[in-house]
Amino acid sequence: MSTVKGKQTSTKKKGLNLLSALRRDRSLYVLALPGILFFLIFKYIPMWGIIIAFQDYSPFRGIQGSEWVGLQHFTALFDNPDFALLFRNTLAISLLNLILFFPFPILISLGLNELRSVAYKRLIQTIIYMPHFLSWVIIAGLTLLLFAKGTGLINELFALWGWPRVDILTNPDSFWIMVTLQAMWKEAGWGTIVFLAAMASVDTQLYEAARMDGAGRLRQIWHITLPAIRSVIIVLLILRLGDIMEVGFEQIFLMYNGAVSEVAEVFDTYVYRTGIEQGDFSYSTAVGLFKSVIGLVLVVVANRVVKRLGQEGVY
Amino acid sequence: MQKVGKRNTRNLAWIISVVMVMSVVLSACGNKEEGQVSGSSGNADDPLEVSIMTITPSAVPAADDNVIKRAIEEATNSKMNIQWVSNNIYGDKLNLTLASGDIPDLIMINDPFGSTFTKMVKQGAFWDITPYIKDYPNLSGGIPDIAWDTTKAADGNNYGIPRPRPVTGDSFFIIRKDWLDRLNLQVPETTDELFKVMEAFVEQDPDGNGTKDTTALAAYISPDDLGWGGNLGPVLGAIESSFIGTNSSWKWDGSQEKLVYRELLPEVKESLQYLTKAYSKGMMPEDLLSLKLTQARELFKRNQAGIIVDKTGTMRKIYADDLKKVDPSFKYTDFYPLTNLNGYNPKGSGYNGILAIPASVPEEKMKRILQLVDTWMNPEVFEIQQFGIEGTHYEVVDGKKVASSEKLTADNASDFNHIVNVIDLPWNTTGETDEETQANELFKKVEAERDKTSVADLAAGLQSETGQKVLPELNKKIQDLKAKIILGREPIEAWDAFVETLRNDPNVQAMSDEMTEAYKKRNGQ
Repeated sequence: MSTVKGKQTSTKKKGLNLLSALRRDRSLYVLALPGILFFLIFKYIPMWGIIIAFQDYSPFRGIQGSEWVGLQHFTALFDNPDFALLFRNTLAISLLNLILFFPFPILISLGLNELRSVAYKRLIQTIIYMPHFLSWVIIAGLTLLLFAKGTGLINELFALWGWPRVDILTNPDSFWIMVTLQAMWKEAGWGTIVFLAAMASVDTQLYEAARMDGAGRLRQIWHITLPAIRSVIIVLLILRLGDIMEVGFEQIFLMYNGAVSEVAEVFDTYVYRTGIEQGDFSYSTAVGLFKSVIGLVLVVVANRVVKRLGQEGVY
Repeated sequence: MQKVGKRNTRNLAWIISVVMVMSVVLSACGNKEEGQVSGSSGNADDPLEVSIMTITPSAVPAADDNVIKRAIEEATNSKMNIQWVSNNIYGDKLNLTLASGDIPDLIMINDPFGSTFTKMVKQGAFWDITPYIKDYPNLSGGIPDIAWDTTKAADGNNYGIPRPRPVTGDSFFIIRKDWLDRLNLQVPETTDELFKVMEAFVEQDPDGNGTKDTTALAAYISPDDLGWGGNLGPVLGAIESSFIGTNSSWKWDGSQEKLVYRELLPEVKESLQYLTKAYSKGMMPEDLLSLKLTQARELFKRNQAGIIVDKTGTMRKIYADDLKKVDPSFKYTDFYPLTNLNGYNPKGSGYNGILAIPASVPEEKMKRILQLVDTWMNPEVFEIQQFGIEGTHYEVVDGKKVASSEKLTADNASDFNHIVNVIDLPWNTTGETDEETQANELFKKVEAERDKTSVADLAAGLQSETGQKVLPELNKKIQDLKAKIILGREPIEAWDAFVETLRNDPNVQAMSDEMTEAYKKRNGQ
């Protein structure tokens, strides 16, 4: 009897809880409303447009009037002789980012964290943040000014010293590593913010105790700092995996030229060329959708693996 | 006290959230409202409200209250809502606008044979203006027949008003005459002579500053120029075309009675070898592939290159006045156009884009828009953008209008040529100064010479369905390979191998058959 009664009250309480919780935190919900509306209006409603990937979309007929073609655009993509090339380039640039770029901000923040002088630390931080605020157009321009084979500053210097000029911008061998280094220079400093914040929250007593036990700087980093930021690293890594098919359209597009096309053409530039330049809207939507599905699968899988390993995932 | 403070923050939170919600909702609605204003059409006597989208060559486009725009509006009884789009991004912007379905009443289509536009025309998205043209004297009489003919769609109808341009004075080589004179060289007339001139421009210090710091040809290769002048862009494409003797992607082969795809011609290989040699000798910028149109122009403007490819009409506006600042001894007549190379120079197609009217515009309003363009072409109305307003932009001296080009440029006068233009050759007018008048006389003479050798694009206006599908990708592949060969990254044999695959490509064969058929049909065979 008492158990039944207990159950009843608990379900009743749950319903009440939701309502009363809504009422209690109503101002919080209202504060969240703009955000929710933003996602609804600008992210979820436009997603409706994805269905043109399964149509032969004509702007004149609109989504209602356009013909359905099923998976035709997807098979066209997989049958495209350039598909393997696109896939290889996208993956290569993305993996280089993951291997070289991703750990870089962690290393910088570990180093910055060890600096004693606050003023010095701030100064370095500010300097390495700066490039984040430059647009890719400016960075591409700077790269051209510095590295162009004919007129670039560095090559002018090399020529002055009697060294051979190096060709970086139109050399397919160096393209991948060049865009990775470019991205690192631009974003690494910005990427340290999260890690530094995580490190700042580590209890200083832990370091004191470790020092009493005779642990050196490196031991302290290995046994205290790194474990403390592990969850942040994992979350960021999973999110990064979701973007594995995105390699930064603007950057690649701006560095693109005819001599490096076989290593520089990625899904993003391909979508732009077929969709915007050639007006093949349905096809490029299909390519974009394919890209997003891969990203989604990777995030879900990685999250599950991480949870299996007993760590906290993204959700 | 504390309690009051807490209530205040809570109220504030409410206010902030309400304001934010409203701003999100309003921003989402904003676009729609703007769109509706331009859609209304009132009585026949009310000013015609018309929305227009076109190119602007200026960095800062004409504002809504621009004096010249106001004067044209008054003369044509209209209220124009003009969306000026930068030249560099027009193609993208146009495709996006067409995709959105919210199309301005009068929209400039830069390539009437582009895939999006042709597809939409087939679906009936634009007015077929063919039956109406005869009702408007300036449209039928003021725009040359060649422009109407070359912009006809596959079904033989006109889906837009061509923006007329002179068939003479198409982009071709322009050379520094003062450099030639300094080095005692003749104006080149063949590609071989051009090569010798380019060599001299690199080796013999034509600017006389004592260092070997000049290049010859202000060239660049950009993916933006795919399909234009044979994929290599206007500059290198002009050299290739001079080898072939045609500015078309097709050449008529009389013995086989069919059109042959340009890339299959042996002259393309010859020109590639020529360009490879020229590049290796420093006759064009080493960073050819990284440059854009504006940067290539800079080379000429900064006294670093002696040859460009452009229209003669660009002399003052783009090049000469800037160049004078760097090299004060430069005269307008040193901007010297070549008459022909190997007996060839390109004849223009007579138009630069068309103005189309979407089918969503009611018939009455469509007619009024045609009337607007027709009225605008009346000499007294067109003179507004040519000379501006008396007292502000020009003075009448001895019964002649003398305009100040500086003031006209400041008020974006010539930008309106990108909506309505009347063919009037710039070199037919007397210049502001004697120097300019002399240059205009020179250009006039050159144009008369060019007229004897100019070659028209024989495939202009012809379409092939297969071509529309495969050409965009193909053009890109061709440009990439040509660029690599010119840079020396690939041997010339790579071109032979590529041509062989092209020859066996069923798509290329289908495209050739379709083009040949269209060509024969148009020529009544």
